[in-house]
Order: sequence, then C-alpha cells, then structure tokens
Amino acid sequence: MSHGSTDRCEPNLTPLLDLVLQLVMFFMLCANFVMEQTSVEIKLPEAIAAKALDKSTDEVLFLNVNAKGQVLLSANQREDDNTDTLDNPVQVENYLKRRAAVETRVTGKDKPQATIVLRIDKETPFEYSYPIMKACRQANYSNVQLRAIRYSGVE
Amino acid sequence: MARRQRMKTEEVEPDLPIIPMLDMSFQLLAFFIITFHPAPTEGQIAMQLPPAEQGGPSTNIPSITDEKPKKYIVEVTATEGGAIARMTFREDGSAEEGSEDLGADVKTYLTKIKSLYETELKRIEAGKASGREVPPPKLTLKIGDRLLQAYVMQLFDAGVQAGFSDIAPIPTDPRKQ
Repeated sequence: MSHGSTDRCEPNLTPLLDLVLQLVMFFMLCANFVMEQTSVEIKLPEAIAAKALDKSTDEVLFLNVNAKGQVLLSANQREDDNTDTLDNPVQVENYLKRRAAVETRVTGKDKPQATIVLRIDKETPFEYSYPIMKACRQANYSNVQLRAIRYSGVE
Repeated sequence: MARRQRMKTEEVEPDLPIIPMLDMSFQLLAFFIITFHPAPTEGQIAMQLPPAEQGGPSTNIPSITDEKPKKYIVEVTATEGGAIARMTFREDGSAEEGSEDLGADVKTYLTKIKSLYETELKRIEAGKASGREVPPPKLTLKIGDRLLQAYVMQLFDAGVQAGFSDIAPIPTDPRKQ
C-alpha cells in the first residue's frame, strides 16, 4: 500500500535564509556610521532652508563646537600634539591659520579655498559661537556655512 | 574483484544543517532592526563672516556710479534663558530711535523681511530693465550675547526663506565686533 511511505517532507529553507541574509546586509549597510569629521555629541538646531552640501565643494573642514564654545577635533583633524579640544578662540584661530598655511602651500593660492562647516550645538550662546566665526575670518577663510538638521516644517 | 567493490561504494549526500544558520541570521536581523536609527539629514545655511576690523587698505574701491546695496539691521536681545526677548528692525543709516519693534515672534520677523525682499526684488528688476545693476540687499543680525544657537539658526533660516543671500551676524556690543 502506498500510504505507508516513510519519505520525510522537509520545507526548503534555503530561499528563506537568502532573504534573511539580504535583510541583515541591508540593515548593516544602513547602520548609523559616525562620519569621520562630525561629532555625535553636538545637538544641531533645525532649519527649513538648510541645503545639502554642494557636491562640487572640494575640501570641507567641519568644526564641531559644543555648548561651552570648545571646538572638538576628530581623530583626523588632530595635529602632532594630539590635542582633541580647542578651548578658546585664540587656539581656534591659530589652528585655522596653520591649516590655511598648509592648504595655500599645496594649492599655490593666496587664500584658503576650503569651506568651513560650523556644527554649533543648539545650546551654545552667541557669545561663544561668534568668536569662532571671527577666528575663521582672521584665518582668511571666506566660505563658512552653518550646519543644521534639515526640517520639513511638518511635525 | 577490488574494482567491483569500489564501484559499489554508496554516494554520500552531504547534509548541511541550515536551521542553526537561519536562527543566527534571525538574531542578527533582530539586532539590526532594534538598533536601526536612521541619521537625520543635515544641511547648511551660508553665512557672511563678520566684517574685517578697521585698519588696513580696502581692496574694494566702489565706483561712483555703483548702486549701493540696501542694508537692513535686525537687533535681537536675549532673555536670561537664551531665548529671543525682543527684535527691532531698521534700515542702515536710519536713526536707532526710529526702529520698528517686531516683538519676540520669529513669524513677525519673517513676514517683515519677506515683504522687504519682495520690494527689493522689484527694484532689482526695474534696475535690470533700465540697464543698471542693482546689488541684492544685505541683512545684518545684531545678536545679544546670551542668544542660543537654536534661535540664531531660526533667524538665519527665516532670512534665507525670505530670499536674502547675504546674512551676517554681529554682536550687539560694538567692542566685541
């Protein structure tokens, strides 16, 4: 009799495994990787008119300014002394002047062409953020932008 | 004889256990789903740096025929907590006593500068029609020391929304400029 067969009936799990691995890959790639020059400690303000960074911009220098007015340097922004924080505007100005000197030596231009993106914490009072802007000017940088979270205006 | 035995060897079907791998994949998937937090999209607002300190020769010598850009000044005072306390508006060159009070609401400020920019746009277009080049207007924000960046950004944001492309922040205290 045929109903006495002992053949095992197993579901084919291979396509399911493929699908799950693809989903895992997706989430791994979308994981919130921290950008090299930006700091997660900085809580940015929101702005409707903020635009994405122009792709044609060659060199961008991110300056992360915390609520105390200190500039936090990322690993690749640090200099030989390995200082990770610039505590006052004089230090910021000297740091920017050194970077500008290196850049002008390389490019052969009389002014640094890099764009400075100021990532200023939303809790920073203007008396702390203004000296940083002033330091950019003293170091001869002319293209300075303020970073914000792009906000659609709809809650 | 030995050849015949070799021919008889049964083919072994490799059994790859997929279920533990699937379990592990589900665990990884659950981990990534739980920790998934898309990064907020960041953007920039261009700003003009504060003007250079006095002294030294100016490299930009304006021509007599050049039309000067209109400059508007919005003075913003801050509360103890760093919020906007009061905003006043005036055109550069006019007396401070004649400043227009805009209150503390950014919407009032936005409406005001929007209508101003529209008027300026008409002037620019009229200039173009008559062959004159009229430079775009400038907006200067005189900001109180305590004002927090969140509010500074609101003022910049409203300025850009109104149409201004030249927005410069300076402190209210002239000694700090």
